[in-house]
Amino acid sequence: MKNDMKVKWVFMLPFMIPLLLFWIIPLASAFFISLTDWDYISPTFNFVGIENYVYMLTDPDFIEALINTFYFSVTTIVGTIILGLAFALIFQKKFSGSRVYQLIIFSPWITPTVAVSLVWSWIYEPDKGFANYLLGLMGIAPLKWLHSSESAMLAIIIFTIWKSIGWTMLFYLGAVERVPQSTYEAARIDGAGYWSQFFHITLPLISPTTFFLFIVNLISTIQVYDQIQMMTQGGPGGSTTTLLYLYYEKAFQNFQMGPANAVAMVILLLILVLSLISTYVSSRFVHYD
Amino acid sequence: MKEETIKKYVGSSLRHLVLMISSILFAFPFFWMIMGIFKTNNEIWQTPYKILPEHFDVIGVWASVQEIHFGKYILNSFYVGIVGTVVMLFVTMLFTYVIVFMPGRWTNRIFAVVLAIYMLPGAVTYVPSYVILSRLGLLDTLAGLMFTYLANIFAVFYLRQSFMKTSRSYIEAARIDGASHWETLRYVVFPMNKSAFYTVFILTFVQQYNNYMWPSIMLKDQEKYLVSQGLRQFFIQDGAYGMNWSEVMLASTLTILPVIVLFILGQKWFVTGIMQESGLK
Repeated sequence: MKNDMKVKWVFMLPFMIPLLLFWIIPLASAFFISLTDWDYISPTFNFVGIENYVYMLTDPDFIEALINTFYFSVTTIVGTIILGLAFALIFQKKFSGSRVYQLIIFSPWITPTVAVSLVWSWIYEPDKGFANYLLGLMGIAPLKWLHSSESAMLAIIIFTIWKSIGWTMLFYLGAVERVPQSTYEAARIDGAGYWSQFFHITLPLISPTTFFLFIVNLISTIQVYDQIQMMTQGGPGGSTTTLLYLYYEKAFQNFQMGPANAVAMVILLLILVLSLISTYVSSRFVHYD
Repeated sequence: MKEETIKKYVGSSLRHLVLMISSILFAFPFFWMIMGIFKTNNEIWQTPYKILPEHFDVIGVWASVQEIHFGKYILNSFYVGIVGTVVMLFVTMLFTYVIVFMPGRWTNRIFAVVLAIYMLPGAVTYVPSYVILSRLGLLDTLAGLMFTYLANIFAVFYLRQSFMKTSRSYIEAARIDGASHWETLRYVVFPMNKSAFYTVFILTFVQQYNNYMWPSIMLKDQEKYLVSQGLRQFFIQDGAYGMNWSEVMLASTLTILPVIVLFILGQKWFVTGIMQESGLK
């Protein structure tokens, strides 16, 4: 038994050391730093209490980043979920060639965001980009896309929806497959059409998946960073600065470690609340039988 | 009956039409990227608008591949993706073995902590992690980057799910026959859970290959850049006006290619891995 104890420690330590160094200690220190005015360069700092948080609430940059993040998240999620479900419904019955289509729709999700952001910023180029060429063909006036504060966020949202549909589709595909065929047959005998079956059978039965996808997509969209750094750097005029981008600017460009970590704590709190809601709801309402 | 056949036929054609148009839309950025490689700057800026390049100058493109020196970034990314992930899997395997097969009051508590961290955003730890790495003298090193990736919570979850399905009678039999914990892990648990290891490897590799924010914060020496950083450097060095789109598209294509190849070869592992991520299946 004593020997077992030794084995336990030897087996666990290689994991526990990095867990402590890069998760547990940093989470605690991030909170601590958020209560100081540390600037990274000087060795000393002052304890300022909740001053950084009070300042944050009156800081227009923070308010704007919060609104931008919210707008980005909700719009991206609604688009992703509706289109992801639509594709899953098309693939509900297997047919020849469905696998190839699925692979194509899924492929943006696995490619590096930085690399595909580049081709999209070319597509969005105002003078010679493909997006404006396409609008021209349809007789619509060209947009300035990433170069205007009115359309930059929209451009980022379209890009993100394109990238994340495949993943959402895959989950819905699993969910619609689990709906028992007998339920549909019973409904057909009662004379229900396709849409009636969709609204009264499919949609309610896959609602746990919809809920799950909503939460998980929300958690990941709150942390959007790569495409913003590549395509707009938060601009023009702060119109695409999201919470995580603001954190990056404050911490690694302006070295305002206190305010930066206060923003980090807001991100952490948002995600913590979301995952608690998710755990609570799925333990209470979702039954796997 | 006949009417129904026609209806079915029309329905199926309509479905293919919708899917074909969607596939074109989804694949278009990749197509544009590859066409871009072959376009000269003149072709890009001229009117009338051109979708296809004038020539497919494969030899010229091959010469630019060697000219842009992108290979070292890809090598760095592969190094971190392969070595980092293998070491991570080894460390996770040992930890998960204790959690699943040697449970106790303390191990359960430690696992509860890991469980609590699962969904948390890694980004909020970047400032303190940066400071810790610099104290350890590991800032701006690939070893330091791999070290920060070692505590991979997703890997613990995935391996745990898989280990729990391993029949305990095999473990007990091995232990009774005098096998040490290490031997049990090496010769019983590991071979029985190989597919879980493959899945975690492939997902983690792609995730680390694609990772941008953290490497871009902690790696400053251009020789150590990973692909995404190298690509960004390449993108911004000329400024917006001197942009050589054809070279940028070439570098992007080179970056994406390994992931696409891996994805096509390892589809099975991807799909099971992603479905498992949620605990839905």
